[in-house]
Formats: sequence, structure tokens, C-alpha cells
Amino acid sequence: MNISMTRIQAILMKDYKEFSRNYAVSTMVLLPLIMAFLYNRLGANTISMYFLPINMTFSIVTTYVQCSLIAEEKEKNTLRSLMLSPASLGDILIGKSLFVLIVTIVSVTMAIFLVGYEPANLFILAIALLLSAVFYIALGTICGLFAKSIMEASIIVLPVMVIFSFGPLALALSSAYPILKLAEWLPSSQLLLLAEALEGKYSMADVLIPMITIIVWSLLSWIFAAIIYKKRMVD
Amino acid sequence: MNAVIDVQHLKKTFNNETALQDVSFTIKKGEIFGFLGPSGSGKTTTIKILTAQTDKSAGNVLLFGQHASEMKQSHNRKRFGILTDNSGLYTRLSIEENLILYSNLYQLSPSAVKEALDFVNLYAERKKKISQLSKGMIQRVTLARAIMHKPELLFLDEPTSALDPVNTQHIYNGLRKLNAMGTTIFLTTHDMSEAEILCDRVAFLHKGKIRAIGAPKDLKKEFGSDTITVELKNGEQEIIENGSQDAEKLYQWMQSDQVTRIYTNEPTLGDIFMQITGSDLV
Repeated sequence: MNISMTRIQAILMKDYKEFSRNYAVSTMVLLPLIMAFLYNRLGANTISMYFLPINMTFSIVTTYVQCSLIAEEKEKNTLRSLMLSPASLGDILIGKSLFVLIVTIVSVTMAIFLVGYEPANLFILAIALLLSAVFYIALGTICGLFAKSIMEASIIVLPVMVIFSFGPLALALSSAYPILKLAEWLPSSQLLLLAEALEGKYSMADVLIPMITIIVWSLLSWIFAAIIYKKRMVD
Repeated sequence: MNAVIDVQHLKKTFNNETALQDVSFTIKKGEIFGFLGPSGSGKTTTIKILTAQTDKSAGNVLLFGQHASEMKQSHNRKRFGILTDNSGLYTRLSIEENLILYSNLYQLSPSAVKEALDFVNLYAERKKKISQLSKGMIQRVTLARAIMHKPELLFLDEPTSALDPVNTQHIYNGLRKLNAMGTTIFLTTHDMSEAEILCDRVAFLHKGKIRAIGAPKDLKKEFGSDTITVELKNGEQEIIENGSQDAEKLYQWMQSDQVTRIYTNEPTLGDIFMQITGSDLV
């Protein structure tokens, strides 16, 4: 695939300008931050409480912003124009995703700070958070490719927000409803389990299993996103 | 032959409906080729196939000697420019910001943006956001984007449809200048006078088939009648054929000061299109 740093940078800068002037989408970033602040005030002191605003940041900021950016490009026919320029599929996706990744890193960092969470092992957690961001960007890309407009985008991401943000909460009910045990394998649950393990004595498996699970989710999602992109972008 | 576009027996079907059928034409380097036809005749589908936005169902389509599908490659995309009715511009960005984005995607020098803005007469308005522009101005920005990288081949879909006469003239002059520099132009238009002014050759497309192809002058000769109409002072209109006997008649009317007006009955391209297809161009 033909990748160019100049073109990636051009797309990233364009997305930054468009995002900063699109208040309907950019103000969404504040939502999980407000929630993180409120949780802190309410006395959040468990890992599952800390991770509620963090997982919400991933679905509301990462997935929704990526989804909206792509849906708007489709709605306004700008994606077609980009595709007729020398920008390759890689340039477009990397440029866009890089921008959303930067927004995610800033938002998650602020959410962690605002909720008052002090991770026991910041390095391992940062890797897991980064891998999660990659997965949620892929999820946003898939949603954006299915959505025909920004309006549709905001509806399409709703189930994603519910499943991935609140999925870990379902684990509490898994003893009554065994089917909910499946929620354990969601990347958001794995992130939570990893963070809980990091607080005590943890084994290699405690770190590797969540990491590998998140990586598998990311890989599958990106492969699916690439297939959908190729299918949807040729008449 | 130095063909930039070579289309042979092109066919395109959408869900069992034929959009293009046995379409064949060749465009030489440096030519301005007009593709004329009413809405739904297959003009846009042809452009989409030529620019690798959609696949053909059958036939052979070569651009610069390569299969049209090769136009997806980044280095080949630099060889053509395209203007369609969907501008694809970022409405929250200014004219200049839109063009800077594309100059970076094409990896051009910063002066390319100014040159393109001058070409469409928009340098003074460069800071305006796209959302604040009229349809005509958006058309000019889209054209600036299409020519900014000085493509070898330019696809123009109704390039002056939303422009006022002054800007239309400005664009015509610019296109001629680009053409003189070697750019081949593939133009679709409803405007017959535009086709006559700009095109070296035209093709009439009707219901997915090419009905006639040639230089406007040759088509007029082939499909028009070689007659002139003479309006006389007594109100009568005489149609005379180009021949020595009729020339004598005309000479006598002029001698006796009976002539008010003389005009040729040369058909317009629109007349010829109607004659061939039995339907209007709009």
C-alpha cells in the first residue's frame, strides 16, 4: 500500500480544523469528562467505578468522533473527492485515525485525572489503553462506513456505546444470568479485569490474556473495516 | 496514434439495466472532446468508469495506454483532474484551506494554490469559507482544485453550468490556455454553444449509445442543409440552395434592393442531436 507522511499529515490537519469548527461533534468530548468529574465528587473508589467514565470516553469520544468524521465525509461527498486524489486508503484511514487517537489520548488522560484514578502500573495500563483505542477507532470506522449521514451516525453508535461502555456492568449479573458471562470477553471488560489485576499480585497470564483479547478484537475489526471500505466505496 | 483515452465496445449494466452499450471512442493527446447527451444518457457513468470509480461490465477501456482500473494507483491519479457536480469541498474550511489540503495530497509547491486561485479569479476571496459561497463560486473552487496539479487529462462535468457570463468567459480562456499547454480535456455539457466554442470533436450519447461522433463543423456539414434564407422587403422568405442558379437569383434581389436579411441555415449541435435521436438534449 502506498503510504505518504505528507498526505497523512494533510488529512490529520484537515480533520483537526473540521472537528474544531464542528461544535455538535467536538462538544461530545466534554461528556465523559463531566461524568468523570461527577464520579470523583460522588466518591468513586473502586476500579469498576473508575473505568465507567474511561470506557465511556472510548465509545463516546473515540468511536463516535471517528464514526461522525467518516459519515460526514460520505454525506458531503468529500470522501469520494479524497479517493480521487493521490491519497491511498492507508493515507485516509491512518490520517483520520491518528487524529482520533490524539483526541482519545488527551480525553482518557483527562478522564483518569478527573475521576481520581491512580493506576498501580501505569506502563502496562497505558499499553492496554492504547490497544483499546485502536479497537474503538476500528469500531468507529465500521459504524461510519455504514452510516449515510451524521444523523445516522449518532444512532448507529448507540448500541456500541451501550454494549461496550456498560458491558462490564453485566458481569455483576452473570451469576443470575449465565449468558452474561460472555460480556467478560468484551475489550472493555478485559481492560477492567487487567486494571483490577494490576492493583494486586498479578501473573503473566493476568496481563497477557486481556492484552491478546483486545488485540484480537482490534485485528478482526480492522479487517472488517477494510473489507467494508472497499465494498462501499466502489459503485 | 497518441491516444490518451481509448474506449472500445464498452458496456455497463446496473441490475440488468443497460447504462452503456457498445460505446467506442478515442481521444487524442491535446484534444478537447465533448460528450453530449441528456440526463441519464450515461455520461457520468462513462466518467466514473474512466476514473476507476466503478467497474465496466464488458469492453476495453485504456487511459494513457493502461487499463482504467490502474487509475486507482496514486501515481496515476496525479495524471488526471476531475470536476463533477458534487463539489466534495469541506464547507467549514476556507477556499484556501481546501486547496492547501489538496496541494499537500498532490505534494505540490505552495505557489500552486495561488496559481489555481488566479486561474479561477478567486484569489481575493481565498479566506472565505465554502459555506459562505454561491454555487458559481463553489464551481470555480472545484475547478481550481481539478487543475491545480496541472493534469495531463481533465474531466469536466458541466463546468460552467452555474457561472455568470463574465466568469464563464474567464474559465473558457483558462481552459484554452491549459489545452494549449497540452492538457487533454474530456467535457460533458448540455450547453451546445459551449461545445461549439471549446470542443475539437463531440460525441452524441443517447440511451447509453453513441449516435454520432466528429468535429462540430463536420457534423454540421453531414447533417445540415447547405441553404441560406433570404428575407425580402415584401415580407417573403426565400430559401435558396448553394448553386450558380440560386446565386443569380440572390444577385438580382440585391440589385433591386429587395433584401432585408440573409442568414445561413446551418444547424446547431442541438438541432443535429434532435435530428439523430428524435429527442431534446435537456
